[in-house]
Amino acid sequence: MRRRSLLLAALSALLLAIAPAQAHHGWTGGETIELTGTITAARLGNPHGELTLDVEGEQWTVEVGQPWRNARAGLEDGDLAEGVEIRVSGEHAGERLMKAEQLWIGDAHYVLYPGRI
Amino acid sequence: MEELLARLAGTSLAEWMRLSRWGYAGVNALHVLGIALLVGAIVPLDLRLLGWRRRLPLAALGQALQPVAIAGLLLALTTGALLFLADPTGYAATPLFLVKLTLIGLAVANALALNLGPGLAGAAPRRLRLAGALSLGLWLAVLAAGRFLAFV
Repeated sequence: MRRRSLLLAALSALLLAIAPAQAHHGWTGGETIELTGTITAARLGNPHGELTLDVEGEQWTVEVGQPWRNARAGLEDGDLAEGVEIRVSGEHAGERLMKAEQLWIGDAHYVLYPGRI
Repeated sequence: MEELLARLAGTSLAEWMRLSRWGYAGVNALHVLGIALLVGAIVPLDLRLLGWRRRLPLAALGQALQPVAIAGLLLALTTGALLFLADPTGYAATPLFLVKLTLIGLAVANALALNLGPGLAGAAPRRLRLAGALSLGLWLAVLAAGRFLAFV
């Protein structure tokens, strides 16, 4: 009986340890920041796109939307490509990591997350 | 290796996984279903091997739970391969993904060693406890590694 309780307790503890990972990983509550830089690498596609942005010599990772979200914002193939200069605003989600909410290419404004701005 | 990964990423199936909205979401949901079936079936069996509910006949439990676990594993492997196609180079370069694959290999090897060896019916109690403990720890570690992949 005692051994069984111990086993169940150990299992529950393990499941509890895993539980925080179930939280949505989209937003972490970081402050909103703005970056301007040149795209040096782009990988667009599921589960979400990822840009490397050169910001005054610092390499930032900027997470953009899934393909449908980028398309909904009005972005077309080639807009987020190597060599393009963008201004981007979003959540500061880690050291040199940003989750983009909206961005500008020249005067064109693209809103990825209308509910967050 | 790099060339192989790039060639995989260039297939039309990979493009579909990369670009489709509901296709990707659907494959993702089936991956979760596979994991649910696998873990949901293997945890009670492992606990039984560790001595829980000792009066339940092991042979009957195995007959019910092992096919479900195997079906779940096959579903998870198939859908996992499709999810991998969305970004082969990226996943291959993620250490945690390689850890996860290694853990899957160990967990499968543990299950095969028991079932192709003495089997549930023929193994000594100590052997069964060891297999159960390894299986429980490895599959839960696989699940945790897989989930944390989205956060690293």
